[in-house]
Amino acid sequence: MALFTLQDISVAYNKKEILKDFNLEIEKGQLVSLLGPSGCGKTTTLRLIAGFLQSNNGKFLFKDKDYTKVPVNKRNFGFVFQNYALFPHMTVADNIAFGLRLRKVPKAEAVKRVERMLEIVNLEGYGKRFPSELSGGQRQRVAIARALVIEPDILLFDEPLSNLDANLRVNMRVEIRRIQQELGITTVYVSHDQEECFSISDQVAIMNKGIIEQLSDPATIYKYPATKFVADFIGFKNFIEFESREDKGDTVELSKNGRVFTVEKHTHMSPNKKVGAVRPDDFLLAEWNETQVLPSNGIPGKIKITTFLGRSYQYVVSTPIGDFTVNKEMTAPYHVGQEVVLIIPKDQMVLVE
Amino acid sequence: MKRRYLYLLLLPGLLFLTVFMVIPILSMIGTTFHDNGTISVKGYIDFFKDDYFIKILLTTLRVSLFTTLICILIGFPVSYYISKLQARKKAVFLLLTIFPLLTSPVVRSFSWMIIIGKNGVLNKVLLGAGLINQPLEILYTPTAIIIGLVHLFLPLVIVTLVGVMENIEMDLLQAAESLGASKLGVFLKIVVPLCVPGLVIGSILVFVGSFTAYTTPALLGGKQRVISTFLYQNAITLNDWKLASIVATIMIVVTFIIIAIMNGAAKKLNPKG
Amino acid sequence: MQEKNRGLALFTFLVFVFLLGPLLIISITSFEGGSILKFPPEEYSFKWYENIFQVEMFLSTFKTSIIVSVAGNILALLLGVPAAYALSRFDFAGKGIINGIFVSPILIPGIVLGFSFLRYIVVAYDLPIYTSLFIGHTVIMLPFVIRVISSSLTNFDFSIEEAALSLGASRLGTFFSIVVPNIKSGIIAAVMIAFLESFNNVDISVYMTGPGVSTFPIQMLLYVENYFDPTVAAISVLLMIITALFMFIVERLMGLSYFTKR
Repeated sequence: MALFTLQDISVAYNKKEILKDFNLEIEKGQLVSLLGPSGCGKTTTLRLIAGFLQSNNGKFLFKDKDYTKVPVNKRNFGFVFQNYALFPHMTVADNIAFGLRLRKVPKAEAVKRVERMLEIVNLEGYGKRFPSELSGGQRQRVAIARALVIEPDILLFDEPLSNLDANLRVNMRVEIRRIQQELGITTVYVSHDQEECFSISDQVAIMNKGIIEQLSDPATIYKYPATKFVADFIGFKNFIEFESREDKGDTVELSKNGRVFTVEKHTHMSPNKKVGAVRPDDFLLAEWNETQVLPSNGIPGKIKITTFLGRSYQYVVSTPIGDFTVNKEMTAPYHVGQEVVLIIPKDQMVLVE
Repeated sequence: MKRRYLYLLLLPGLLFLTVFMVIPILSMIGTTFHDNGTISVKGYIDFFKDDYFIKILLTTLRVSLFTTLICILIGFPVSYYISKLQARKKAVFLLLTIFPLLTSPVVRSFSWMIIIGKNGVLNKVLLGAGLINQPLEILYTPTAIIIGLVHLFLPLVIVTLVGVMENIEMDLLQAAESLGASKLGVFLKIVVPLCVPGLVIGSILVFVGSFTAYTTPALLGGKQRVISTFLYQNAITLNDWKLASIVATIMIVVTFIIIAIMNGAAKKLNPKG
Repeated sequence: MQEKNRGLALFTFLVFVFLLGPLLIISITSFEGGSILKFPPEEYSFKWYENIFQVEMFLSTFKTSIIVSVAGNILALLLGVPAAYALSRFDFAGKGIINGIFVSPILIPGIVLGFSFLRYIVVAYDLPIYTSLFIGHTVIMLPFVIRVISSSLTNFDFSIEEAALSLGASRLGTFFSIVVPNIKSGIIAAVMIAFLESFNNVDISVYMTGPGVSTFPIQMLLYVENYFDPTVAAISVLLMIITALFMFIVERLMGLSYFTKR
């Protein structure tokens, strides 16, 4: 049963539509990420759930109650801000206790709960310090503690890690996931960082221009992106527009320029789609010349550009059906102009449009 | 919900100002256009026909102009010097500049009375040194007013200009030098043009301030009237509220015109666009 | 180049002699032991300082000035702080015009404003002089309060307000427990500057004097027109000391940039 539902929500700002007829359902105890480029509407959605924004139409249902018009300070949702938003004039302990004091929690109990929270976020002993004395990562943990201590029904994160350096980001996201699972708290997490979202979420909603392009668990999205946008966003750099498609039992045959490629069918494959997407890492690349036989699913090509990436080499290969970006680890890289064959393994192309 | 809060926050202040300032000022201006029950500009026509009034207006404008010029000519180089000082020295100078600004205008004008009066300090020094034979009569002349007003507004000009000059990045000056400009060249070609908006604003502040100042001309001008002391005289001593209102309206109009020019000029002259 | 700097340094020195000399002279003459004002003094004594407290009018007008300026300041804060908050926080139709109205008392010449106060507040609205003074001074302090509070709020991180709301605080509660404490020094500085402007004001106070009611600067003005003794010099010194104190406090709270910003 869904814990909360956004129904046919429309939000416009300065005459620009950000969300239109937007729908989203979240189950209890899940961590759902809203992932997408700037301007896709993910932050708007989050702030709508929090109550900082009002929608022009539509409903926000929480536990089957209509929360659409409930003001933000009555919703009991925890919100963690990108820049932490800690109260500069209060100590860490007072910051965390703020929500408890408003709820008239007795002093002794409040102190205990704050202490417990400091333990959970690994900041024991920091209660008397001021935000200005803390590092970025520490401040973020105080912000999380402050939002958690009020035992919110939903926890909302607005790009909480963007202001931290790379190593810290990885550690912090693991912490956030751990706490979320330990407490079983329903969470909505907004970010533009794909790796971050994929590593901690139960479900990811990939958003683009106010629409959810795909809502699914990370593994499914990773292997089987549903649309061209999603594929491109998660790293499928190569797209082939095929001219025709024929379904043949377990496989699908697609053709372009007289060449035929076979792709294995899988449960997530949608019928009628004719645009194929392939990851740069998934191609097979081998030296080849015209005297050799062309392997199945292969196209002849020439190396156009070679770039050294550190972990691998990146090639742009030009072929009769277009240029493709290919990543390959090689000890002896190909040089520009080299004749090669590019092979698309049967299980590595996804049909997206 | 937000809208309602908004109006609640603004309303008390707005209401207060409307009742106690907007309505009185507008009503006062309105009365100047009435003559025995009809709307007319007779009051203004009579005013501008009278030589005595015109003379006062011109004297005030002249005094304001001189004050402004002197303040800018003195203030600009001084500001340049201060802006190039190290932080601590600069802070001291700025504090010394700001201090007179916050003291009462009565105190400041009174101190000049002691100095430029017939038996004042200046005359004593000059007579004693044998530079003059008769005491100079400076007090109660337009010159005295100018001296007092310059003393009043010079700190304002310095503070404004130092602020503007501090905003000129060192990089610009160094770039000019690297391209071959001399120190004087840098000053004339880079610093001065970038200061123009600040100079314009400063000039207008001084001019408007001088035009409408009361305490200084009241104490140092004696019988020599400027427009603000003339207004007061008509309002209180002579009880000619009609004339006083006309003078007051003229003062408002002149002030607003000059401020409008300032806004326009500042926008046009701003090199950063 | 060095010469240019030395010439400029000398020029600047002379300018500061011009600016501060008169204040120094008046301070010295305040210690005159004789009975008329002269520089340099013949003898030295504190007797003119004592005289301040003998003149009844000085004491009563001082009290009036303090009451008017403090009360006016309080009213200006009550009216101005919410307005400044609304102007900084929100965007709305007519914002420019409303901002203009709040700023306008600074733009209208004081001597004109005072006259309209006399004509309308005292006469037309028929309010007593004391009250009219209080209202007039509030009007001129209001723009200062709004300008300073607005600038304190310009760089304010309003997300801490949202944080408080998300934790359950009311809008009013948030304002007092979150916003105000973080602009405290701005408020104090605004209060002090506004108070000085009001206390020293002549242009509007000069219209609102009545039997036994007047402000301190006006009393000084009257005294100077009738007597030329060092009492006013002594008062000047005391006022300058208080001003220096205020400046020191504001500078500690807000730094020097507070005065140089326009």
